[in-house]
Amino acid sequence: MIVPLISLILLCPLAAFAFFGLMSLARRSVPRQDYLSTAAMLFALVCSLLLLQQVVPHPEPHTVEWISIGKISFSMGFYLDSVTAIMLIVVTLVSSLVHIFSMGYMHGDPRYPRFFAFLSLFSFSMLFLVVSDNLLGIYIGWELVGLCSYLLIGFWFEKDSAANACKKAFLTTRVGDIGMFIGMMMLFTKFSTLALYGEDGIFALAANLSTGDMVWLSIAGVLIFCGAVGKSAQVPLHTWLPDAMEGPTPVSALIHAATMVAAGVYLTARMFPILTETSSLIIAYIGGITALVAATIAIVRVDIKRVLAYSTVSQLGYMMLGIGVGSYVAGLFHLTTHAFFKALLFLGSGSVIHAFHAMHAHSHDEHDAHGHAHADSDANEHTHEDGDSELVHAHGSDIPPDQDMRNMGGLRHKMPITFATMLIATLSISGVPFLFSGFWSKDAILGGVLERAMEWSSVHHYVLFGMALFAAGITAFYMFRLIFMTFFGEPRNQEMHDMAHESPKVMTVPLIVLAVLSFPVVNVLWFNDAYVTPPKQPHIHAPAHAGVFNDTKGTFSLFGVSEAVAAEEEGAHDTHADEGHHGHSPAHTIAMVLSIIVAGLGILLSWLFYHRRTLSAESVATTFRPLYHLFWRKYYFDEFYNGVLVALTVWKARLFAQFDGTVVDGIVNGIGRVTRDILAAFTGFFDNRVVDGLVNRVAQVTWAMGGRIRRIQTGAIQTYLLIVLAGIVVLILVFRAL
Amino acid sequence: MLLSIVIFLPLLGVVAIALLRGIGASAVKGIAMAVALLTFLISLGLYTGFDATTAEMQFQESHAWISGLGTRYDIGIDGISLWLVLLTTFLTPVCILAAWNSVEKGLSGFMMSLLALETGMLGVFCATDLFLFFVFWESMLIPMYFLIGIWGGERRIYATVKFVLYTMAGSALMLVGILYLYFQNDNSFALLPLYEKAGTFTHANLLFLAFFIAFAIKVPLFPFHTWLPDAHVEAPTVGSVILAGVLLKMGTYGIVRFCLPLFPDAAATYTPLIVTLAVIGIIYGALVAMVQPDLKKLVAYSSVSHLGFVVLGLFTRHHAGIQGGVLQMINHGLSTGALFLLVGMIYERRHSRMIVDFGGVAKSMPIFATIFMITTLSSIGLPGLNGFVGEFMILLGSFHGGAFSKVYVVLAATGVILAAVYMLWMFQRVMFGTPNKINAALPDLNTRELVVLFPVLLFIVWIGVYPKPFLSRMEKSVNVVVTKVQQETAPAMGHTKIKEVPRYARVDINKEAETK
Repeated sequence: MIVPLISLILLCPLAAFAFFGLMSLARRSVPRQDYLSTAAMLFALVCSLLLLQQVVPHPEPHTVEWISIGKISFSMGFYLDSVTAIMLIVVTLVSSLVHIFSMGYMHGDPRYPRFFAFLSLFSFSMLFLVVSDNLLGIYIGWELVGLCSYLLIGFWFEKDSAANACKKAFLTTRVGDIGMFIGMMMLFTKFSTLALYGEDGIFALAANLSTGDMVWLSIAGVLIFCGAVGKSAQVPLHTWLPDAMEGPTPVSALIHAATMVAAGVYLTARMFPILTETSSLIIAYIGGITALVAATIAIVRVDIKRVLAYSTVSQLGYMMLGIGVGSYVAGLFHLTTHAFFKALLFLGSGSVIHAFHAMHAHSHDEHDAHGHAHADSDANEHTHEDGDSELVHAHGSDIPPDQDMRNMGGLRHKMPITFATMLIATLSISGVPFLFSGFWSKDAILGGVLERAMEWSSVHHYVLFGMALFAAGITAFYMFRLIFMTFFGEPRNQEMHDMAHESPKVMTVPLIVLAVLSFPVVNVLWFNDAYVTPPKQPHIHAPAHAGVFNDTKGTFSLFGVSEAVAAEEEGAHDTHADEGHHGHSPAHTIAMVLSIIVAGLGILLSWLFYHRRTLSAESVATTFRPLYHLFWRKYYFDEFYNGVLVALTVWKARLFAQFDGTVVDGIVNGIGRVTRDILAAFTGFFDNRVVDGLVNRVAQVTWAMGGRIRRIQTGAIQTYLLIVLAGIVVLILVFRAL
Repeated sequence: MLLSIVIFLPLLGVVAIALLRGIGASAVKGIAMAVALLTFLISLGLYTGFDATTAEMQFQESHAWISGLGTRYDIGIDGISLWLVLLTTFLTPVCILAAWNSVEKGLSGFMMSLLALETGMLGVFCATDLFLFFVFWESMLIPMYFLIGIWGGERRIYATVKFVLYTMAGSALMLVGILYLYFQNDNSFALLPLYEKAGTFTHANLLFLAFFIAFAIKVPLFPFHTWLPDAHVEAPTVGSVILAGVLLKMGTYGIVRFCLPLFPDAAATYTPLIVTLAVIGIIYGALVAMVQPDLKKLVAYSSVSHLGFVVLGLFTRHHAGIQGGVLQMINHGLSTGALFLLVGMIYERRHSRMIVDFGGVAKSMPIFATIFMITTLSSIGLPGLNGFVGEFMILLGSFHGGAFSKVYVVLAATGVILAAVYMLWMFQRVMFGTPNKINAALPDLNTRELVVLFPVLLFIVWIGVYPKPFLSRMEKSVNVVVTKVQQETAPAMGHTKIKEVPRYARVDINKEAETK
């Protein structure tokens, strides 16, 4: 059943894309394409749900040969374990909901059918990535989702900012992909395969490597992780993701929050068995730094989508951190909970933007689509219509007015469903205890970090825990800032507020479904030991001095501790951390208490700043001016990339182009000219002395051409042929002599 | 007989057009198209009749020709030339259809040149006699000379003379090499007996260089590339397509047909130098392409970069690298050919190839933009399209084969990023943004243009998704080359010995033994 089901899951979106793509090339429009695409996606969702039951503990990959070169062959195939099954559901579910939401949000866009075709292609690529059993297949899916991201970010390509953003996204992620590619080559050179599973797969073979190979394996692991750094927008390759918000908001929800950007985490988790202590620590640090850096940037953003984008970057950092400290389940668990609540937040923000868009649709009658308020590159028009020029342009930013939180406020009465569902997601991401899924997954990661720190007595991990905890507090702060600024208080822009309205059902129903999923419903799967078994990490060993806290294990529990403890007692030492999500160690208790405290503090401060206004954000910003600037300027990453890297490349390119025209081509032309002049002189001399009359004329013509390289005439070829012939005669004589 | 028919049928078309002087333009086009299509259809017989289980030359023919010179009319194809023959017969009708309305003066001359060119190119790929090869090699220059020189742009004379002279400078060296081989081959030009003597020639290094420089100019390998941008810019669309699609492949074909199997030791000796030039070409070509203001020049420099990849693959002297290199020849022919077709189509509408003149074209010409996008993606090696398979195999062979340092591979891989940079930047400037009045009024592709592009796209996707039929037919022939290069070089190379059986050799390895 597995193979046909997976094939069906892949075929549904692929067929939708291929069919509608060809139709549009043939200039045929298909009635109700949106319904058909959505139906295909829902069907894939049903198949994914059926697959949930089919997971077996030690699955074998199902493969077919793709290419064979000499003795090497590459296969394409499926691998279905519990993580694959859960990912399939996440992708198909979020994709289906985004399809439905888009029917409302994108309604009336002139390229509406194309939007759905791209969504289908994306869904196929993402699913292909998820089910692939080998690195090559993952890489193919990986590049294809990157392409879809490019196409969808640039969906409103008339807008220069969108055109720039999509190019930036593609190129930045490609930098990481090259690292990943070289990492794959290293693995292939060692193991002669790119298959991951089975007894001849990379994991089985890598388990036998000796300690002498650890440096090599660490490098390969980090290189593959480079791909994840690009795709999952980790520091320092994170700058494309906030810009990617130029795409339509449903795209941000599906690709740039729930699925594609999580693919990096998924890949890193897949690579779990070959991670070494060094590569794990690098991954953990990148994750930790990303979590903190992005969270601090999010504090000062005023564009509602940018806040969410940096929040996504930060949360992805959490997941990486989890995997880097060996909390496999925690990292993936957070991936799933985040997929739902972040998709909800984005769709919610889309609902808000949509509410404001209606006004644009009114005021721009000639524009048949709200998408076009975006597409309009003429900023003056906005200024004129919206009357918010001072607010928006005072900061010298080009934030679309309908995404600027400084134009919002008090929307909770106008948009009750959007408000309620977004609030649930915010409570979840902020880590409000017990009732919300985000609390459990974030706590599993924090607990995992602290547990490793305590078990290994590792300073590194204590530092990482501190960073993660701090970032958790900031997360609660900026998320509630978003809620307060958008939904509470008085409307700041009365004209826009008056036009705002709750979105139609086709948009609110997906919000409600996602809100339900933000309660701890998915925990059932992740907290089931029999269902999800973390892979072993044969190359990670606890340091010799570790183990102080081992005897206290199992003192705290919330879910099914008894089996966990039993399994643990016979299990190897290095698997302890993998099961960290059960919260059965003092580390988890401490982490839980601390995270509740920082979340509470964050929410409290946010309330004081943005609701009660007993504290003034402006005065704090003035006091800590340099810090505020650092956050506002996003740590100057973009300035560095544009001012140094891009400028250098373009400068080098111009230099080379000039070199090519003057030096390389100059030499060629020079040789040509010299040869011709000598030749002309020679033939001229020869003709004058030996041949008379008619032949003389030829030589004169040849002479006359000297020095005019741009206007060579065919005569030169004849003289050239002559010397070729003479040369050949000479050479034949030489060879005879040899 | 089949092979001779394929080679000379186009020439028959030339004669027909020449004899039926005074017929109308549409009749000329009709004859040319019919002949080209018929040639393609007949050449499909080569595909179906091809035996993939042997590395021997197939469809062989041998007739006495100029017996006094020791040269015969010997032709045949193996798994490598098969694909180049098919690429040629495939691209010619595509080109004729593409030029349907764009030639204003001298239509019959144009079509005659095109068909004569086809015969020349096919002859080059099929000849198994060195003298015959040289005759085809040179004869192909004449129609190309006319195509650029008569139907070209403003500086066509400069460009065409440069092209012809440059190529001939190389051919002169090659001719010397051929003659020297002739004396070492019992006064015969036959190629197949030469393979038996491979590695035993005196002055093999010099011979290698004589051949290699001729091919390097044709490829063109950095720093011999400056004729290419000029030729491309001045050539008519169809000339560019044939030039990029087939003519450049003669250089790389020559390397894999002559340089590697005949002089394996010399190939090994010069590998570091050649690979360095190839990698420079990859990065240099990409960077120079990035700042070109002219679309055609940009694509021309991208060819320098892409063919650097092909040469890199061939000099891996490894199965994956050489197969990848040969496949990439076809891929480049398809994707760059399509790019030139597309540039030609928009030039016919806008009468400009300057990137600054465009912008927002995706809005007025959505179908054009879609096809342009697919071709661009094929060119930058996106998985699922043909370019990826070739690049992947080349990089794999470079990394895995161990014929040269892995630093080269890393540098070549950065070329992959740069390719995305210049192609996507160009795409953005041409396609995205809001169109001005002129660009907003551009009409989208018509049916004829779609018919021209569709077959090319079909192969771009086919090779990308399922390359096996292509690879399996060339495998045996490539194996022979690899065996030669590796056998001859293994003792001499010492430290850079090719790692044939890696540590975990039992993994994913075909059971069948390698052909000795």
